[in-house]
Amino acid sequence: MNQGILTTNSTISSDTGIRTEEMLLNIGPQHPSTHGVFRLVVKIDGETIKEAIPVMGYLHRGTEKLAENLTYTQIIPYTDRMDYLAAMTNNYVICHAVETMMGLEIPERAQYLRLIAMELNRVASHMVWWGTYLLDLGAMSPFLYAFRDRETILDLFNELCGARMTFNYMRIGGVKWDAPPGWIDKVREFVAYMKKELNNYHALVTGNEIFINRLKGIGKFDQKTALDYSLSGVMLRSTGIKWDLRKDEPYCIYDRFDFDVPVSTDGDCMSRYHLRLAEIEQSLRILEQALDQFPSEGEVMGKVPRVIRPPAGETYVRIESPRGEIGCYIASQGKDKPWRLKFRRPSFTNLQILPKLLEGENISDMVAILGSIDIVLGEVDC
Amino acid sequence: MLGLAKGLGYTFKRMTAKKVTHFYPDVPFPMPPRFRGIQHFSPEKCIVCNQCARICPTECIQLTGKPHPDPEKKGKIIDTYDINFEICILCDLCTEVCPTEAIVMTNNFELATYSRDELYKNLTWLDDNNTNVREEN
Amino acid sequence: MRDLLQQTPSLGNALWFFLAAVVLLVILLGFVTYAIYFERKVIGWMQARIGPNRVGPLGLLQTVADVAKLLIKEDTRPKHADKALYALAPILAYAPAFAVLAVLPFTETLQFADLGIGILYYIALSGITVLGVITAGWASNNKYSLIGGLRSAAQMISYEVPLVMSVVGVVLMTGSMNLREIVLAQQDMWNFIPQFLGFAVFLVAAQAELNRTPFDLPEAESELVGGYHVEYSGFRFAMFMLAEYVYMFGMGAMVTILFFGGWLPIHPALSFIPGIVWFAVKLLLYVFLQFWLRATMPRPRVDQLMSFAWKVLLPVALLNILITAVVISYQSGMI
Repeated sequence: MNQGILTTNSTISSDTGIRTEEMLLNIGPQHPSTHGVFRLVVKIDGETIKEAIPVMGYLHRGTEKLAENLTYTQIIPYTDRMDYLAAMTNNYVICHAVETMMGLEIPERAQYLRLIAMELNRVASHMVWWGTYLLDLGAMSPFLYAFRDRETILDLFNELCGARMTFNYMRIGGVKWDAPPGWIDKVREFVAYMKKELNNYHALVTGNEIFINRLKGIGKFDQKTALDYSLSGVMLRSTGIKWDLRKDEPYCIYDRFDFDVPVSTDGDCMSRYHLRLAEIEQSLRILEQALDQFPSEGEVMGKVPRVIRPPAGETYVRIESPRGEIGCYIASQGKDKPWRLKFRRPSFTNLQILPKLLEGENISDMVAILGSIDIVLGEVDC
Repeated sequence: MLGLAKGLGYTFKRMTAKKVTHFYPDVPFPMPPRFRGIQHFSPEKCIVCNQCARICPTECIQLTGKPHPDPEKKGKIIDTYDINFEICILCDLCTEVCPTEAIVMTNNFELATYSRDELYKNLTWLDDNNTNVREEN
Repeated sequence: MRDLLQQTPSLGNALWFFLAAVVLLVILLGFVTYAIYFERKVIGWMQARIGPNRVGPLGLLQTVADVAKLLIKEDTRPKHADKALYALAPILAYAPAFAVLAVLPFTETLQFADLGIGILYYIALSGITVLGVITAGWASNNKYSLIGGLRSAAQMISYEVPLVMSVVGVVLMTGSMNLREIVLAQQDMWNFIPQFLGFAVFLVAAQAELNRTPFDLPEAESELVGGYHVEYSGFRFAMFMLAEYVYMFGMGAMVTILFFGGWLPIHPALSFIPGIVWFAVKLLLYVFLQFWLRATMPRPRVDQLMSFAWKVLLPVALLNILITAVVISYQSGMI
């Protein structure tokens, strides 16, 4: 940790002669608004933040190191626990990396199932963000509405793969389960419901004057800063850079669908709020098309060797998770276990900008800014 | 002010809307057929191939075999079989690799106990855990 | 009740006073118990939940159980807390909240003290509560408490100004600071119609005075993890909670008296319903509004809150005084 922060200065006001002193405040690791075990040491002068140092690693489990002693199939359940709000994208990125190395062909139906699962998960993840963000800002009800609707998605996943959050659904070469009978119709029903319900979300929160005043112009940064900090996802798009891997480097079967990438040029918390809700809308659009195109029958598991041994060499693949660009780097020596595995986690990368954003802000904006980054501590600490 | 009023209107309307609370401990919560719960193990089907122990990502399965009591028959039968539910992540891989479906998932999920020791489930316990067994594995 | 006050003091009527106070306290505790219960129920309903339903039939004993749990809890005190102030703070917060009830006329006859300056008494005493909050924040020796305590000091003192100013209009109209006379002056029309501006300012400022959503910044559980009462537990914490809800009762009664004609019925034809029922209904509607707001609103930022008080509420309140004064002068032929 930066030792410099530990020294606090006292100053004597030239007008009043009153001595004021800076104060160190530990926010977390046990704090309701850090979304997990995240610690933030802030030096405050009154309620103004002078300096902030994020301290992370409380949830570090060494996934990457553990993976070196696991076969590729065994790694998949570990990725469920990284970004536990969007485990489907994690499942996908590891499978995608191995499949790219081995040049495997994925059956059509499996591709659609993967895509539907990922997009549903994106909606669920943004809904958790929406609810918890409003909870951070002091409104209680949105949290419960969001979780009520997310519950429907989790139930759908539960029917699909037998677990609500730690899916372990995708396998190298396909998916574990075909959709159960009637599942596609249930998803269709949910998409229609969610499209309507989204208006209620807006009615409840988006127009609220207190909420708007609270977020407008807070946590602002420009395009250059965003690129310098290597931000991705909504954090990047809020500054006006239209960069979405689903569009720009299509993976899976995203190139078959018609959807927009919402961007904003404000770069503040309010624009990120709007972008996430707009992304839910776009995801629902993709889902609608995918459900219509869903092949009526077919295999869900491709032709895969019994023991998965990617050829020696290295590869890096990246996809768009709800939080940004999640990447997976595999260095293989042709064995059934990776020689080195590395995940580029968007939460971790996006979090790096936090000290810069917090400087000079009010302490009650701290939760608004941290919340707008949308981190998942399981992914930050990996 | 309009935004505030809209929000108030929505919450007021919700007052009489349908409640979504589950009455879980009073009414059992039904899980879908594919749900991954505590495993059921049938010793008579096991051929002691060790695949489940090898595939387990957290190495929570421990098993030993013994020679078949009937000298005419070849192979082994299962002697002890333990799953440590302190670290089992119910990932479904053991049931996926089992060639004889000796280990299968059930829909039971209530594992809370007062002591960690009770989370080591042995062969007898897993054999008796034979309700709500999953159909397709 | 008022006759009792006029009598020469004796042991007999001292006992009566004491008994009356105890009865009020019991009624109040009953109110607080079920206010908390209904708060949780109403918010639950609004959030598609069913609220407490496990303790007693329909969960009616939930608060009783909660309070019992608080009472038997260990009373902890941080090692470096200021002992005397730490103990004093909850009392300082609670005592004025109870004392202000003395001047409230619940019906024409049911009132403990009929002071000529009822409004002044109420506002002066309720101003003491902020001392309890600051003391708690300071004495706990906790950084979060300190920030919470200072926030509430700034907030409650700032909002007291528009609160007082908004009442001036009513006082001008009635020509009296006696709460009973203010109610009686509303026979024809309730004050919230001619004094709409004053009513709006009062409602907002009262919210900040009560430290309730959306102005619950001193507590701000998502930022300050509870604010000034972070370190309090058990009975001392219960005192703070009690103060908050008794205050809500007081403020509700005040709104009813000042703007909604106290115990007066909506229409004279409905006067067969006893006044106390009318009073209770109006009070409960205000209490419901509190729960409703809590289920809906996010909280503003601290600096926005302060500038709102000084730059919006205060000018509006002053404008209201001006308008009222001009209209009254015009009506009485002075202009």
